[in-house]
Amino acid sequence: MVIEGMHCAACALTIEDALRSVPGVVQADVSAASQRARVVWNAAAAPPSLWFAAVRRAGYRALPAADAQARQQRVQEKRRALWRWLVAGFCMMQVMMYAWPAYIAHPGDLSAEMEGLLRWASWVICLPVVLFACGPFFASALSDIRHRRISMDLPVALGMAITFIVSSLGTFDPDGLFGREVYFDSLTMFVFFLLTGRWLELRLRDRTAGALEALMNRLPDSVERRGDDGRFVRVGVRRIALGDVLRVLPGEVFPADGPLLAGSTRVDEALLTGESAPRWRTVGGEVCAGSINLESAVEMRVERVGADTRFAEIVALMESASLQKPRLAQLADRVARPFLVFVLLAALAALVWWWPKDPQHALMVAVAVLIVTCPCALSLATPVAMLSAAGALAREGVLVRNLQALESLATIDTVVFDKTGTLTHDGMALRRTEVAAEMSAAEALELAAELARHSLHPLSRALVAAAISGTSQAALDARSWEITDLREAPGSGLTARVRKLHGAGPARTVLLGSAAHAGLPAQDGDGAQVCMAWADQAGPERHAIARFEFEETLRSELPAALRALERAGIAVQVLSGDRAASVARVAQRAQIAAWRGDCTPADKLASLQALQSRGHRVAMVGDGLNDGPVLAGAHASFAVGSAVPLARMRSDFVVLGGQLALIAQSILLARKTLRVVRQNLWWAALYNALCVPLAIAGFMPAWLAGLGMAASSLLVVLNAARLARKLPTLGTLADDADTRRGPRTHAPAHA
Amino acid sequence: MDILYLLIPLSVGLVLLVLLGLWWAVYRGQFENIEQEAERILRDN
Repeated sequence: MVIEGMHCAACALTIEDALRSVPGVVQADVSAASQRARVVWNAAAAPPSLWFAAVRRAGYRALPAADAQARQQRVQEKRRALWRWLVAGFCMMQVMMYAWPAYIAHPGDLSAEMEGLLRWASWVICLPVVLFACGPFFASALSDIRHRRISMDLPVALGMAITFIVSSLGTFDPDGLFGREVYFDSLTMFVFFLLTGRWLELRLRDRTAGALEALMNRLPDSVERRGDDGRFVRVGVRRIALGDVLRVLPGEVFPADGPLLAGSTRVDEALLTGESAPRWRTVGGEVCAGSINLESAVEMRVERVGADTRFAEIVALMESASLQKPRLAQLADRVARPFLVFVLLAALAALVWWWPKDPQHALMVAVAVLIVTCPCALSLATPVAMLSAAGALAREGVLVRNLQALESLATIDTVVFDKTGTLTHDGMALRRTEVAAEMSAAEALELAAELARHSLHPLSRALVAAAISGTSQAALDARSWEITDLREAPGSGLTARVRKLHGAGPARTVLLGSAAHAGLPAQDGDGAQVCMAWADQAGPERHAIARFEFEETLRSELPAALRALERAGIAVQVLSGDRAASVARVAQRAQIAAWRGDCTPADKLASLQALQSRGHRVAMVGDGLNDGPVLAGAHASFAVGSAVPLARMRSDFVVLGGQLALIAQSILLARKTLRVVRQNLWWAALYNALCVPLAIAGFMPAWLAGLGMAASSLLVVLNAARLARKLPTLGTLADDADTRRGPRTHAPAHA
Repeated sequence: MDILYLLIPLSVGLVLLVLLGLWWAVYRGQFENIEQEAERILRDN
C-alpha cells in the first residue's frame, strides 16, 4: 500500500511501530523513499481495516497501491518532462559557451584546431539533447509518417534532424558537400524553448487534474460487507462487487450506488446534487456513491460500483473538459494542417531553388523555413490560454466543464439567477419568536435548541445556531433540562420527555416540529416555522410554548458580488420557480430590481429567449439540475454549490464552494482570456506571415529562425500564463477577497 | 592558450557530471514540492 503524508525516514519508523502494534500483523516494512509499505498479516486476526486505522491514528494516510498507480504515473510523466527540459536547457548553455568564440573571433583569431575542438565538444554535448530531449518530437514525427498524417512535430523533427546531420557533417567532414558551418547553438536553443513550452503546458494541465483528484478522494477506503455467513466484515472498497450487501454506518460515505435494503437515514448529497438539505432515504430508496450517511446504520445493495457510479461520471466529465478543444483552437488546427503542408512544400521549393548555387546554403534555407514557421504558436494560442484560465478557476473552486464556454462567457452582459436558493445560504436564520405566557423567548429558544441538538434537520441546526448566537456556547453547554425518551419522526419533528434540572417539577412531554407535529393550528407566514408545545399524557390537547419563524439568509458575499457584476456592466435578474412572495423578499433584500417568481421551466425559457432576442448575452446561474433546457439555452451557465448531477448536468461551469463572487470573477477572467487568445492568434499569424517569406528568400539564418520560432511559442505561452497567476480582482471587494482566499497570505496568520 | 585543449574536454566531462546530478535530483523528487521547505516552519512536527 502507499502511504501519504510521509516526509522523512523517521516517519517510516513511526508507521512501522504503529503497524506492528496491531495484533495479527506479522510483518511490516515501510520504505521512506518510495512511500510504500508492505504488510504481511494474518487475515483472521487482523482485517486490513484495523491496520489502515492504525496508520491513520499515527497521522498518515494509507492507500491500496492500485489507487496510487494513476498518481504515480502522472508523477513519472512530470519527472521525465522536467528531466528532458533540464537536459536541453543545461546543454544549451554549454553549447552557447562553445559557440561564443566563433561569434566574436575575427578571421584568423581562432586556430583551426581550436575550432575543431570546440565543435567536437558541442557535438558531444548535443548528443543527449538530440537523442534524449528531442525524443518526443521524433517519436511523434515517426508515428505521423507511419499513419500518413501531418502534425506540428513533423517539420520540427525534420528541421532538427537536418540541422543535426548538417552540423555533424560540418564537424567531422569540413571539406564535404555541406561545408564547415555548424548550428549546434540554434539546435539546442530551439529544442530548449520548445520543451519549455511543453513543460509549462503539462504543468498547467496537471494543476487542473490535481483539483479533480481532491474531489475523487472523497470515496471511503473501506466498507463493511456482508459475508456468506451473514456477518459484516470490513473490506477495501476496491473489493466490493455488484450485488454485494454493504452496511454503511452514520458518518460514513457511501462507496457505491444502489438501493437501501434495510434501515432509513438522512443522506447528505450536497456533493452530487448541490441539494444542501439532507435527503430522507428509506428502504428501496437509491443512494449514490460520494454522499454521506448522516443518521443511522443502513444496509444497501451495490448496483453500480467504481467507474459506473454517478460520482465517477462527474469526475470523468471534468476530466474530459480539460481535454476538449475549443472552437477557436479547432479552427487554428484546421488552418494549421494546410499551413504545414504549405511549409513543407515551401521548404522543398527553397531547397530546389538554391541548390544549384550552393548546396549548403540551400539546405540551411530549407531548415530555416522548416524551423521558423511556428504553427505551434498558432495552435497553442487558444488551448494554452483557456487551460490556464481553467486551471486558475479550478484552484478557486470553479470547475470548467466546457472550455468552449469560456469564449461565450466573455461576451455575457446579463446574469440570470434561476433559483433563489443560489442567492441564499443553506441554513436559515431565526427571524421571529412568538411565545406563550409560560416562558420567555430566550428560555423557549434554549429548550428548543437542546432538543434540536439531537436532530440533523436543517431547521434544527438553525435553532441551535440561533441559540448559540444568542447566548455563549458555555451557557448552552450548562444544560438546564434533562432530556429522555427522545424520538424523531423524520421530516416532521421531535418528541421527548424533559424535566428541569434545577428545581423540582414533573417530567413533561414536549413536541418540537411542524405545526401539525406539535398539534397546533397552522399559521400563515411566508417563512418556515417550527412550533413547540407541551403534550398532556392523556389527551390530544396541546399547550403552545413557542413558535419560531425562520427566513433565508442572504449569502454574505452577495452584495459585493452583485456590485462587481454591476461595475463590469452586467445586468442581474432573478427568474425563480419559487413562490413570488419569497422571491420578492430575497430580491428586495439583495437589491435586485428585476425579478419574477412562480416561473415554470417554460416561463424561464421564454424569458430567456426574450432576453436573447433583444440581443442580450445571458448567463444562467442555477443548481444545474432542474432546468436543463434553460441552462442549455443560455450562452453560458453556472451551477452553484457543487450541483453535479453528472452527465445530465448541462451547466458549463460548476462553482463548488458556492462563492457567488467567483461568478463575477469568472466572467472577468473569461474576458481577459479572450483578449489573450486574440493577442496570441494575431501574434502567431503576423509572425508567420512575416518570417516565412523572409526565410524562403534566404534572409533568415538558421539560428535566427530557431530564436524566432522559440520566441513566438514562448511568447504565446507566457502571455497565457498571465491568466494562471490570479483571478482578476473585483475592485475594492477583491482586496478583502484576496486576503481571505490566498493560502499564502493565510499561513503566516496561523503561525 | 594551450590549456584550453585540456579545459574544453574537461568541461564536457563536467557537463555530463552535472547532468548526472540533475538526474539524481529530479528522480529523487527534489522539484516535486518546492514550497515544502518554506512551509515547514508552519508545521507542527
